[in-house]
Amino acid sequence: MMLEKGIEEKTFYLNLGPQHPATHGVLRVVLEMDGEFIANSEPIIGYGHRAHEKMAELRTYQQYLPNMGRVDYLHALAYNQCYCMAVEKLTGIQVPERAEFIRVITSELNRISSHLLWFGAYLLDLGAFTPFLYCFDDREHILDLLDRITGSRLTYCFYRFGGVPVDVDEEFIAGTRAFISRLRSRWNDYDTLVTKNVIFINRTRDVGIMTPEQALKYGVTGPNLRGSGIPYDIRKSEPFSVYPLFDFEIPLGERGDVLDRYVVRLQEMEQSLRIIEQALDKLPEGPIMAEKVPKRLKPPEGEVYTAVETARGEFGIYLVSKGDVKPYRLKLRVPCFSNLSVMPELFQDVMVADAVAILGSLDLVIPDIDR
Amino acid sequence: MQFLLAEGARIGISLIGVIGLVSINALFLIWMERKVSAHIQLRPGPMEVGFHGALQTIADALKLIGKELITPEDADKLIYLLAPIVMFLPVLVSFIVIPFSPTLLIRDLNVGILLIFAFSTMAVLAILMAGWSSNNKYSLLGAIRSVAQTIAYEIPLLITAMSVIIMVGSLKLTDIVAYQATVWNVLFQPLAFILFIICGTAETNRAPFDIPEAESELVAGFHTEYSGMRFAIFFLAEYTNMFIVSAVATVLFLGGWRGPILPPLVWFLLKVYAIIFLMMWFRWTFPRLRFDQLITLGWKILIPLSLANLILTALAIKIF
Amino acid sequence: MTSPIIIPSLEAILGADKLTELDYAATGCHVRAEAVPEQMPAVAAAMLEQKFYLASLTALDLVESLELVYHFASFYQLCRLVVHAPLAKGAAAPTISHVYPGADWFEREVFEMFGITFAGHPNLKNLILPEDADFHPLLKDFVASS
Repeated sequence: MMLEKGIEEKTFYLNLGPQHPATHGVLRVVLEMDGEFIANSEPIIGYGHRAHEKMAELRTYQQYLPNMGRVDYLHALAYNQCYCMAVEKLTGIQVPERAEFIRVITSELNRISSHLLWFGAYLLDLGAFTPFLYCFDDREHILDLLDRITGSRLTYCFYRFGGVPVDVDEEFIAGTRAFISRLRSRWNDYDTLVTKNVIFINRTRDVGIMTPEQALKYGVTGPNLRGSGIPYDIRKSEPFSVYPLFDFEIPLGERGDVLDRYVVRLQEMEQSLRIIEQALDKLPEGPIMAEKVPKRLKPPEGEVYTAVETARGEFGIYLVSKGDVKPYRLKLRVPCFSNLSVMPELFQDVMVADAVAILGSLDLVIPDIDR
Repeated sequence: MQFLLAEGARIGISLIGVIGLVSINALFLIWMERKVSAHIQLRPGPMEVGFHGALQTIADALKLIGKELITPEDADKLIYLLAPIVMFLPVLVSFIVIPFSPTLLIRDLNVGILLIFAFSTMAVLAILMAGWSSNNKYSLLGAIRSVAQTIAYEIPLLITAMSVIIMVGSLKLTDIVAYQATVWNVLFQPLAFILFIICGTAETNRAPFDIPEAESELVAGFHTEYSGMRFAIFFLAEYTNMFIVSAVATVLFLGGWRGPILPPLVWFLLKVYAIIFLMMWFRWTFPRLRFDQLITLGWKILIPLSLANLILTALAIKIF
Repeated sequence: MTSPIIIPSLEAILGADKLTELDYAATGCHVRAEAVPEQMPAVAAAMLEQKFYLASLTALDLVESLELVYHFASFYQLCRLVVHAPLAKGAAAPTISHVYPGADWFEREVFEMFGITFAGHPNLKNLILPEDADFHPLLKDFVASS
């Protein structure tokens, strides 16, 4: 009987994770395998759940600020910004323009560092080790720059309600400009080492195609969506902060495959460099904090939804206040949550090697999903 | 009686020599791999233990010796234990026929090249044993991939070697070296040389053909469950295989020990390590191929090309 | 900035008095709609037809009752819509996961965090919490231990 059953069973189960080199965090994907091909897949999440939403209900508005550096630790400043924007909208605090500029500069630097890390880790998934160290070399410069003014290198907690606590100095500006020209000189290296590599193109072209319909139904946002050719970038379509003052483009893909998502991210780094450059040129003089921000913040009753474009897509905060010193309810709409939920569709009937390429191309930060 | 004694002493010394060479070669190659990869990646690599980290591998080997040997609970224990040995022994046999210099070789067999290929094929058996017996799906997938890959790449490897062999007219490695007294074979057979290096890289399971142990997909492939010295033996075998493939390539295409001024042994080792350096360079530059692309490359490109090369060689010999 | 397109199709489902225009600068949304949970599949289908995506689905614990909150937004135009659907404690809401497959996970999260069941959901089990967790952390009567 056992033997008979064994013959009939065509598929077997493979656990990709929770500890696996390709999941970049504690994500577990149960794969039902038919030989090297995936018949079905189910992501299992929650290993890194820290109850950030419950924590919000137990802390005052200011006390919750550091949490925002720890949800998506790779683009922490965008999360900082979104939370500050939500509270500022609720309380009507006006942020001085110079502070907005500093927010944009630092947030875009952080976006580049996030994309660089993705770039390196993604090629590691594809079996190329060397680009990882090249882009970490570049990323190090960003971390040093941000370290100078924010005081931390990864889990930033820099923005405050009404502005930023520390002004940028000449050294930071000069360092940022030097970094811009440095990174621009590296594009050629990246192109010849990776983007034009035949093996790389064979591995990524026409793999893991995500249609615009799938993206719409699953609420996929960010570079993953733009890889499918939809020009949706919250910095452009729902302008926040001082983004409307800058001239930049939204890179788009055509086929929606892994290669498109890769190219979109690489081009986005260049666009971020353009934004930073313009912001440094136009940086206005003035205060960096709003006047009279109450120490004991008690926003009026009401609810607000703010969204920002992070390196991974739309991050939204739905904040409900009942006029208390603590939020009544704070929902974090995290981009990776929706971006991962589309994964089983992309995994249908692909090989394990492609599954790794697709999973990596979605640029997931697992603690972001688990919150 | 005297003959037996002499032969016994010869075997003993050879064995010690081979094991010594294998160990020193592996120690050197691992250090070299680290240094090469480090400099490709703009970092210094190991610097602490010894001069520029030269003793780092010895420290690592000591650490590995001290590690616990883990056997998975549901493993097929006998096969599990045998696999590293089966992996390593054929590697030693190949050294019998490699001519390091006109005088330094153990046995000048007239089927030398055949012996090397015959025994190097056994490595896939060891991989299959390791993958099957570990009772781990990642190991099994790695082993299955390895079998398919070895078959796809052994054929072009043999056919390209054949091109040289029909030119020389002998399977004996010393004859092949003697044939290249004036001109190296690589000038007659440039395509065969390139094919041989590609197939050799695949044969040793090195990136970009490291599908059986593709880290990001299969954790560590067939040797996922091995720890301590058992793992070290797989590691040792990988680097020794690299040495053998490069040594065969040197003999077949680069004139073996031949070269001006320097002693023959130095020339031989220089050529071997130059090819190994090339293979390391591949590994730290290219991403990994996908499994089906690898098989397609083997069957649809490398085998037809090597066959065409063989036919052309045969025709050329017939005509000239 | 309110989109003229979505209003008629939603008015047909919900009734004109359930839609209110919001001050976008102060709330981040353009339109607020009141619905009963039973209307949500129809609302979701109408939103999908207008090429809106489901940005977020969550719930509020108002102590006496619960409220489901849906956020829709569009890739093609600036329009954010928030739909509030009040729900009695212990009542079930119909799923919209057959309209928006992305709602599958959102509903599972609301299920485990608030204990709201979604009728017709294909796979309603814990998503983020352990499989055997029988508590609902985001309810107001759940006391965090620290």
